[in-house]
Amino acid sequence: MTLPEPLFDYEACLLACARGEQQALVALYAQESARLLGVAKRIARDSALAEDIVHDAFIKIWMRAASFDPGRGSARGWIFSLTRHLALNCRRDTRLEIQVSESSELALQPLATLDGRHQMQDPLQWPDGCERIYGCLEQLDPARRSCIVHAYVDGYTHAEIANKLDTPLGTVKAWIKRSLSALRECMG
Amino acid sequence: MTFTPDNSDPADLDALAGEYVLGTLNGQQRRALEQRLPHEPDLQAAVDRWEARLLPLNDLAPAQQPSERLWPRIERSLNALNVPASPTQASTGWWNLLPLWRGLTAAGLAATLALGVALWSVTPAISPPAYVVVLVAPQSQAPGWVIQANDREHIQLIPLGVAQVPGDKALEFWTKADDWAGPVSLGLVKPGQVLSLPLDRLPPLSPNQLFELTLEGPNGSTTGKPTGPIQFIGRAVKVI
Repeated sequence: MTLPEPLFDYEACLLACARGEQQALVALYAQESARLLGVAKRIARDSALAEDIVHDAFIKIWMRAASFDPGRGSARGWIFSLTRHLALNCRRDTRLEIQVSESSELALQPLATLDGRHQMQDPLQWPDGCERIYGCLEQLDPARRSCIVHAYVDGYTHAEIANKLDTPLGTVKAWIKRSLSALRECMG
Repeated sequence: MTFTPDNSDPADLDALAGEYVLGTLNGQQRRALEQRLPHEPDLQAAVDRWEARLLPLNDLAPAQQPSERLWPRIERSLNALNVPASPTQASTGWWNLLPLWRGLTAAGLAATLALGVALWSVTPAISPPAYVVVLVAPQSQAPGWVIQANDREHIQLIPLGVAQVPGDKALEFWTKADDWAGPVSLGLVKPGQVLSLPLDRLPPLSPNQLFELTLEGPNGSTTGKPTGPIQFIGRAVKVI
């Protein structure tokens, strides 16, 4: 357990990092390393790789702290986004990506059926809290909600979601596009 | 769904930004977008809005305790980057960072007030303050552990790295408030272990209370007082 988020001043911490005060990075590590590693692990699906990502993230936080602009969003958000995009880039670059052309899109469908029917249910409990995103996600059809959650939290590609949901790739792409649009409408 | 690099229709930009933040762009599309970001404020703003919208979903990924190797590795990389290492920075430790504490104090006050109001109908007690202790090595001043207390009856000891302990020795955890006659043992600590401790047999935490880890025999000090060298030491700082 760490300090409750409201008690930790992420912005002051980044400012201190920008001034070269390494103890601020130590404090940030004590505060968020476990949660950042959780985010990276979920996407990288490998503990060692996830630690590599968090290592790179802390170096990048240190190097780029001066570029943090509070006008663009929260400091905690900046830290999480930076880490998550490192994980996503790592996964998209290191694994053999399924290049989805029109033909492979068709080819993927029988694979999904051979693989058995993976009905993706909502595997995750919404955390307690009043974050607006959860209310908006509740308004989506469960399968579409799964698409959004698995894409964001698990770093699944369109093709992986299509495979898991046993749903045509084109449908998954359309669901995600419309779900994002609905979320934007709902959240403003 | 393809996104042409030069499309600048606001709705398309927003859709592209949404898919980027969601994570559904492929590697090539991600790189292309990241190259555009510094030059296209509208696209950057759309990405920022999506980051803020979806950020709470990170809470769905369960936290995972890093291995003891991770922080030392980060520290080595920082040193290799030719940045000032922590020992030379000891005089400006994070406990001396005015902005950090100013922020913590303001946030702590706000939280305390909010909690106080929330608890008003239940109990007139005001939410107790939180404490933080950074335990540093006496010689190098390198931080090794952090203690956090969200109330005065319960503390948590969190390792920042792997403490080197000889096989026939053990780390013993001690505390002493200013007005106590001597230190009291809080038990043995394994290197790298996160420890949660109730202080129910002790007076509540007080500001400036001393905490230390000493090197003792495998079963701890036999005298009930610290006998071995101090490995890490620090004092409680009241967050508010």
